[in-house]
Amino acid sequence: MASDNANLPGGKITFLLFFALVNFSFTIGIHNDNFSEELYVKPFSSGHVMFHFQFTTVWNVSIDKPESFQHYHLFPKSLGDVLTTYKVKELHLSQTQGLWKHEKWGYPPEDAPPGDELWVWFQPHSGVDQTWADLVNALSGLFCASLNFMDSKSTVQPRWSFRPAGLASEFYSANSRFVRYSTLPREVVCTENLTPWKKLLPCGSKIGLASLLNSVKIYDGFYHSLGVHVRSVCQDTQCLTPATELKQTLTVVYDPTTNKNGKQDWSFQSMFDRTLQSQCPLADTRKIYVDVTTQETLPKFSLSPVPDFVLNQKRSGEERKIAVYQIGNHLSPSSLNLKAMYEEKLTFSNSSLPPVYANRFVTGYGLERGGVTCMIYNTMSSNTTVIFMETVPWFLRVYFSSLRIENDGKEIKPYKINFIPAKDRANPYQMELVFRLFANSVTKITYSFERAFLKWTEYPPDANHGFYVSSAVVSTVLPVASQYTATSQSVSLLEESFSDSSSSFFLRLHTETLLVSLPTPDFSMPYNVICLACTVVAIAFGSLHNLTTRDFTASDPSKRKGLVAKLKSFFKKEKESPENKPDSKEEEIPSQKDKDNSKSEEKDSKKKDGNSET
Amino acid sequence: MVLPTAISFVCGVILRLALFRSSLPDWLSTKTEVVTPLTSWGRAMEGLALHREGISPYSGDIFHESPLMLKILGFISRFSPNTINLIFVLLDIIQGMILLRIANTFGRHMLLRQATSVKNYHPDAKKNLLRKEDLMDLQFYVTVAFSFNPYSIATCLARSTAVFNNIIILLALYQMLKGNSFLSAVFVALAAYISMYPIILCVPVAVHYFLMSRKGGMHYTDPTAVVSYLQILGVTFMSLAIMLLFSMLFVGSWEFIPSTYGFILGVPDLTPNLGLFWYFFTEMFEHFRTFFICVFQINVVIYTIPLAIRLREHPTFLFYMLLYTIGIFKSYPGYGDVGLMFALLPLWKHVYQYMRNTFVTVCMFLVCTVFAPIQYYLWIYAGSANANFYFAISLAFSTAQILMATDLLFGFLKREFYLHNGDKHKLPDGTDAQIILDS
Repeated sequence: MASDNANLPGGKITFLLFFALVNFSFTIGIHNDNFSEELYVKPFSSGHVMFHFQFTTVWNVSIDKPESFQHYHLFPKSLGDVLTTYKVKELHLSQTQGLWKHEKWGYPPEDAPPGDELWVWFQPHSGVDQTWADLVNALSGLFCASLNFMDSKSTVQPRWSFRPAGLASEFYSANSRFVRYSTLPREVVCTENLTPWKKLLPCGSKIGLASLLNSVKIYDGFYHSLGVHVRSVCQDTQCLTPATELKQTLTVVYDPTTNKNGKQDWSFQSMFDRTLQSQCPLADTRKIYVDVTTQETLPKFSLSPVPDFVLNQKRSGEERKIAVYQIGNHLSPSSLNLKAMYEEKLTFSNSSLPPVYANRFVTGYGLERGGVTCMIYNTMSSNTTVIFMETVPWFLRVYFSSLRIENDGKEIKPYKINFIPAKDRANPYQMELVFRLFANSVTKITYSFERAFLKWTEYPPDANHGFYVSSAVVSTVLPVASQYTATSQSVSLLEESFSDSSSSFFLRLHTETLLVSLPTPDFSMPYNVICLACTVVAIAFGSLHNLTTRDFTASDPSKRKGLVAKLKSFFKKEKESPENKPDSKEEEIPSQKDKDNSKSEEKDSKKKDGNSET
Repeated sequence: MVLPTAISFVCGVILRLALFRSSLPDWLSTKTEVVTPLTSWGRAMEGLALHREGISPYSGDIFHESPLMLKILGFISRFSPNTINLIFVLLDIIQGMILLRIANTFGRHMLLRQATSVKNYHPDAKKNLLRKEDLMDLQFYVTVAFSFNPYSIATCLARSTAVFNNIIILLALYQMLKGNSFLSAVFVALAAYISMYPIILCVPVAVHYFLMSRKGGMHYTDPTAVVSYLQILGVTFMSLAIMLLFSMLFVGSWEFIPSTYGFILGVPDLTPNLGLFWYFFTEMFEHFRTFFICVFQINVVIYTIPLAIRLREHPTFLFYMLLYTIGIFKSYPGYGDVGLMFALLPLWKHVYQYMRNTFVTVCMFLVCTVFAPIQYYLWIYAGSANANFYFAISLAFSTAQILMATDLLFGFLKREFYLHNGDKHKLPDGTDAQIILDS
């Protein structure tokens, strides 16, 4: 297992340098930072097209030293201040609407779960929980998202799944004390999140690639994901001094076949309702890449304008052809409207499956018990080890004893288990399992839970909609780069990862979120319930009080009166008291009934009866 | 009556064994009326699974048994499922045996008490006196009430850990009747250690201890009396403290206290049951939650004081009444508590003739027992009812228990009155008088 861990990102502390960075630092002169904007377009065999925007700022100062983090140039000051104030070492935020379909689309450049996901490595200091609480509040304001709801009820400290993605010492990254991970699966991402995200760009949204980001069209897409990733990287090959990298990504997936007469034709004009008019003058790299691997297979397509050159990307296990555009070469005489024209209609076919992918769903019926099943598929012909991480809210009481990992009906013993049970209204269930996926097989993880009954104030509005459970995270290291599009860990730009010669590829997958209904009380009843329950207590209290404080006595049954007579005597007493003298007429009527007793005796006994009946 | 007793005892055991072969145990073990978060076998097994994995079972919110129970259940869970079923039948057999002993000792105890106090009785009360023959039948009735009591059977089949609590409470009662007050106090401490509320049972034990050693007309507030109360209280709390200390040494920290007693007192788990807490605190306004938790928890124990004063001459009946108040008002009541009450009910069959609401109460019990699972199903599975339906049933069930308890107390007090004053009461003018409660 130790060797598996060493392959994970945190295990690597040294990174290869990318040569471009050195060149840029010379050209910028007094400012030791640089900025690049890239767009990666990839058509899928399902008819969808992915546009992945990546804006990378690298600043040659260390994030660990707040005193050097002061003279901002390209790096956004609003974010930089937050990072230094809250002692952040590494920050990864994603805001996603929709679900990435791994079976159809392969792997995205940045995998993200539906909703918001935030994981942060803090610099070593005490009181990380408080810093995290302050940080999420600050970020919540910065990104207009409900990140402030990432409280202890939804925050965990993953031990193995989320190692630092950038520079970190082995000692630091082995300790999960300084990492916090949280998700908001219910969060809706919209233009209010895109606007603050665009404001972090040095060129703003009016110029350069970011001018394509027309929110009306982006939120028309099948899937879109905003990302902000801050990490430490090396300044040069020796890696003596660290730099800080801010990577802002936006991934959007469209389905052009629906309104293009069944053809997969796409263009900037049709997808974004805009063409590219300008380039960001602050950027050093301004490039567009289009994946043209499938250009010659059916259905064929042609690009216009013609790319500057076509790059052959060779990553272990896969060869891809990438058409490259230098934006500056295509802006004159007219603006750039990159388009792909398909010769034929799209024919749907089975796309090749990615090496590892996962599905997850809720099992059971009724609102009392239930279960979760996660199927992890390995389509490779070799075994691989995965880390499965799951965060379940406290109100689904997960039974650890029901946890099973099965492959072909055979139970698999996990190598390592990290299970932290939930505390009611305090922290969630956290589960991390490390186990082997056998070649060409499906591994099934199941566990059962019991639904808790919440207080009426703990239900969200529309309580019967249900509660979301955040995505499970599957982390592994792939030996092949089949359908793998992420930037390599050791470099910053997409361009640099096209010439990647490594033989292991770190993969993080997010499964579906789950929607679980909980039993609801009647929200309109609080007063009634309080009254009724207190009545029952009062019955007990009254009866026991009566029985324990009174004695049995013998009384004359003829003196005991029915309800009507009691009421009469009650009202008579009421009348008597204000006048302060007995009414002779009324007095006579009862005295005629009980001729044995004198008037005064009658009065006394009435009072006595009235008391005893209470 | 030895033969019918033996037959009904054996029948009860066979009935349990036979039902364990049906699908009933699985169904019952998920019924919230039968098992509570405190007594659920499934939750206990989850705690053990965590314990075996090296995770403290008290770090989560599923397991709420005390450390001693963790040890005992850990031992039991090593056996195969069938053997575990047999163990639960065996535990019920033990309960039945203790009940037989209690019935036997109770008869002698009552006759002895009657013999000492008969000189204070009214001459007319002769026919109300207990006779030896009646008390001989007690064993039979108690056995029947336990063997065929659906609440006890359900508790056994659901493998509810309330069985352990019941055994210890019965042992405390048995030792009290036998006159071993100190041993009884230790059992009370053990019951309190498991489920907290039985701590109030040390009051009847203390009163009984004083009555046994009373010489002449010594008063209840004499210094000697107070010393004897303090002796019992001291034994109870000392043994409780020792048990808690050993538990701490066993699990290595005090974290089991908030997870067990804190869980009982704070009522964080609002799983429906036939008690008063769950829906009340589901619907409670957040401002008043702490206040009402205090009120409801004090409500469980506050009845000890008036009952102890009123029933000072009758600690056994006081013990029984306190079982009622615990069973009705505790934060997570289950059928285990009801089963215990019904099993001991035949001891007071000489009081039945003075009770007034037996028919209504029995009907309420029947209706609630039948309707509770139906309403729960309609709410949770079918979705055609809501929480209020089940809440109504739980209120009615609590009311039925309250009616039964107060009716029994009424009957008991009335019988005492007749014993001391005779059952013929004439007014000065010669007509029959009516006996009523008066201040």
